[in-house]
This record gives sequence, C-alpha cells and structure tokens, in this order.
Amino acid sequence: MDRALATALTERFKSMLLAPVRQRFDETEIRVSVADAIETMRALHDETEFVFEMLIDLCGVDTGEEMQVVYHLSSSRSGDWLRVIVPGIDRSAPRANSIVSLWPGAEWMEREAYDMFGIIFEGNRDLRRIYMPDDYVSHPLRKDFYLADDASRSPAAGVRNMERVGTPVDATRGTALRKSPGA
Amino acid sequence: MTTPLTKPSLDDPRIAIPAASEWYEPAPTAQTERQAEFLNLRDGEMFVNMGPQHPSTHGVLRIIVKVNGEQVVDLDPVLGYLHRGVEKLCENADYHQAICYTDPLEYVASLFCEAAPTAAFEKLMDVEAPRRAQYIRVLTMELNRIASHTLFQGWMALDLGGITPILWSFIERDEIVDMLAALTGQKLLYNYYRIGGVNGDLNHEFMSRLGNWMSRAAAQIDSNLGLMNENEIFVRRTRGLGRLDAATALRMGVTGPNLRATGVPFDLRRDHPYLVYPELEFNVPTRDEGDSLARYMVRIDEIRESIRIIDQVLHEMPDGPVMAKLPRLIRPRPGRAFGAVEGPRGAYGVYAISDGTDQPFRMRIHDPSFVHLQLVGPLTRGNLIADTMAVMASLDPVMGGVDK
Repeated sequence: MDRALATALTERFKSMLLAPVRQRFDETEIRVSVADAIETMRALHDETEFVFEMLIDLCGVDTGEEMQVVYHLSSSRSGDWLRVIVPGIDRSAPRANSIVSLWPGAEWMEREAYDMFGIIFEGNRDLRRIYMPDDYVSHPLRKDFYLADDASRSPAAGVRNMERVGTPVDATRGTALRKSPGA
Repeated sequence: MTTPLTKPSLDDPRIAIPAASEWYEPAPTAQTERQAEFLNLRDGEMFVNMGPQHPSTHGVLRIIVKVNGEQVVDLDPVLGYLHRGVEKLCENADYHQAICYTDPLEYVASLFCEAAPTAAFEKLMDVEAPRRAQYIRVLTMELNRIASHTLFQGWMALDLGGITPILWSFIERDEIVDMLAALTGQKLLYNYYRIGGVNGDLNHEFMSRLGNWMSRAAAQIDSNLGLMNENEIFVRRTRGLGRLDAATALRMGVTGPNLRATGVPFDLRRDHPYLVYPELEFNVPTRDEGDSLARYMVRIDEIRESIRIIDQVLHEMPDGPVMAKLPRLIRPRPGRAFGAVEGPRGAYGVYAISDGTDQPFRMRIHDPSFVHLQLVGPLTRGNLIADTMAVMASLDPVMGGVDK
C-alpha cells in the first residue's frame, strides 16, 4: 500500500475525485467522472510525480444500473496498481472518451468494450466489433444478456431470445421476468 | 462400341456455373474511418487473405493484408474465431469453476492463466496460500515458463522455414509437460491452483523426474540453442526486423519479454511482487535493440533465469500444508480486486468484482497476446509479406488468449 501515492492523488485531483482514494493490498483506486477522465489520465501519464506510463488493462463493467470504464495503470514510481474507475455512464446510451491519443494500444481494448458492452468511445477511429460478427446485434457481457441455460431455467423460457433485436432500452424492459409465474 | 467423348459445353444445363457476382465474397463495407482508409485501394494494391487456417498464425487468426507487389502496405487482423465468451461463463460459474474456465485461454502455458484469477480471488477473500503452496506455485509456473519459451523457440524457427528446432524444443517441452502431468494429472490444462493453495502436494514421480531433468536441463537447452543462435540465416533474417522502440512499446501497452527486448526492465515479479518472488534471486534480462532477434534472445535468457529460480525453490522449499483452511463454497465480501502475474508472454491480469454471492459479478481477463497482436500492423508496414509471419512469431501471441 503506497500511502504517499494516495496523498499525492488527493492533493493533485481534489474536487475531480468523486470519492476518496481507496487502498487495499497493493491497489489504489480513484473515481473520476466521464468529463474529467481524459484530463486525469493525461495528468497521471505525463506528470513527473505520477508517471503512470503503463496501461495494463482497460475494461467495461456493467453494474446493472450504470456502465463503468475501468483502467488499471502501473508506474515506475510506485509499487501499487492504480485503478481509475469512470462510473455513472448511462446504460441506455453508454458513451465515454477514448484514450487512444495517450495509449494507441488501448484501441483494441476499447473495441472489445464496445463489442461486449456497447460503450461508444469518442475519438477511437476504429470502433467496430472485434470478437462477434459484424451483423451481431447484442452486447454479450451486459447484465441483461442471459446465457442459454440461464434463460431456459427462467419462467420466460422460450420467449427470450439470446440475441434480442433492438436498443438496450427495449432490452431492459423484458428482463424483469425472473420471478416465478405465480408470484 | 463406346460412346464418343463429348466436349463439355458451357451451355450444358447440368453444369452450373455461378454468376460472376457469386464468385467472390462481396467486399465489406467500411464501418469506421480507419476501415474506410484500409479498404481504399490505390493503384497497384490488392488484398491478400491469410488464414483463418494458416500454418503460421499460431491458431485461428485471419489477417487481411493489403499488398503492393510483395510489400505489405497495411493489414487488418480479424479476430473472434476462437471466441468462447470465457468472461461471461465465469460470471455464471462459482469461484472454483471460474478458475478452470480460464485454463484453456493460453493453452501453451495455462498455469499462468490459473494464477491470475487465483491471485485476484485470494485478494477478494483476504486469504494467503501457505508458504509451501506458494513455493510450489513458483516452481510449477517457472517450469511452465520454460516449456512455453522452448516451444516459442521452435515455433519461431518453423515460421522462418526451419523444421528441425521445433523437434528439438518438443523434447524439452514434452519432458516438462510429462512432469506436470505426473503432478496434476493433466498434460495441457492443469487446473492445479486453488483459492488458498494448490491441489495436492508434490509427489515422488514429479520430484524424481524433475531431479533428472534439472541435472541436464541447462546443458541440454544450451546445446539446442546452438542450432539457432549460431545459424547465420536465422540471425541475419531476424536482426533489425520489426524494430520496436521503448516509447512506442509503452504507448502500445506492451508487457513481458516484448517490452524487455526494447530495454525497459519491467517485470511483475520484480515491480509488483507476488507469491515468494521477493525472496528469490534472479535477474530481469533486457536487450536494447527491440527487433525480432532481441525478442528471441530475451526469452532465451529468461529460460536460464527460470532454471536458476527453480534451483533456489528446490533448496528453500519449506514443509507444511498446501491448502489454507477455507469453506467449500466461497462467498467473498463485496469488493474489487486486481490480480496479475508475469506470464511468458506478458502481464496476465484478472479484475474481479464480488457482489457477495458465490459467483463473480464481473471477471475481466486481460491477456497480453491480445495487446501484442496489435503490433503486427505497425511493425510490418513496408516489409515483405513473409516478414509478417516472422514478426508475428517473434511477438509470440497465442490465439486462445487473444480471442478469449
């Protein structure tokens, strides 16, 4: 746990942080809004007290209520993993800013997050599906996408299709059917 | 009398000739700015399709190459042929099952794929494996690293047109794989690590095989190396090919031997230590050239370091239990954890979110091969088609991990 990093982060980003810096084991976690994300990442990458030059991971997260984009960074100045969470992205029309200008290597990871969650990264020049076929319509890692056996166990078996055509808003409407029919 | 042979006529209705428009797949329509740029052919350029079944793509990968003569102008890898949705499967499995789902990701060195989720789940549960289990993990992981690197050595030669080295490297790999099979019961997908320890202590067969192998490993590997390191064709072919500089490598998110070949001494075993690595003595080999030959040489040096680590582990391994006491059904408290290990290809990471149930709420798997495959485009632009495969072989991606 790198206490000095926590103090430095709190001092540098102050009001931009949506929650106090959290630390556990060798992980430090900050939360910033979508609007501040790029500026924060640039500061973390460029400023000499941070030098978080290595992007270890970028991923999307669907909490069921909102979307998040989560970055894991590593620096030569600190032994901690830095986790930057960008919460509060609207589930029905998820949009975030691309960090391809800082890390060109994030391009495919953003494509993956787009493919799996439908998050649109503005500024990514090649945002198309990467794993699923081009004509695929849904986003498999969203929480309203059930696995086949999961769906067959639910009372709505036979009604719900694995691939639901339509916008994510339509998709959320048909998914509250996990109660038993009598209830 | 036999009937005279008649010349087949194109007007014969039995011969169905598809219309010209059906001969080829229609050209894809561009969905993005970058794809439009790629699909726009200038004078003299054409597309060549490589894969999905191609001997040197290391799995099922399709690459659309835009060529001008024999020169690569641009390329667009098409992924997803091996996509199994492992992350989704893990979110619908309990914590123990999730670990064995990650095994087939990187089928060449699957212990590392197990180690990353195990590390993340142990952080979620706030447990630590007993010291003996940690030593066993280090021992088996380093063995697996050697198995992976020796196979890389053969593969790379194979992609450059040399047949012999892969036969030699399979001798070493087979010995290690058999050893691990004696320990875990499996040759490829071990499923050996558990949350809070390992599945079973070291057994006699494993130890005696390991002892035999260790007594000749260093000499054997050195003699195998002579086949390639002193081969002028190989050295001249790879030197200066696919040169990557440190700044670009960092921006591209490269980790592992590919990064160390550019001169950045970043190794998770040193910089984000896990298990008992801080107590072991080893070097982090680097090279400054950043070309295909450097990437090859870094891996060779890593084999030597791994043998050194195994030697220390065998001397210092304590006695004791190999599993921590844990309930059968694991329900970590709600929280988030990131576990990462240094694999033979780079940093494997797992970001796990727990919501208090027995299944991970979200489990993100980061595979280094996926990131490294992005480099094939930038590194081969302007080179010959044959060099695409030479560069790709030196980056050592495994498609099982790329496609997840």
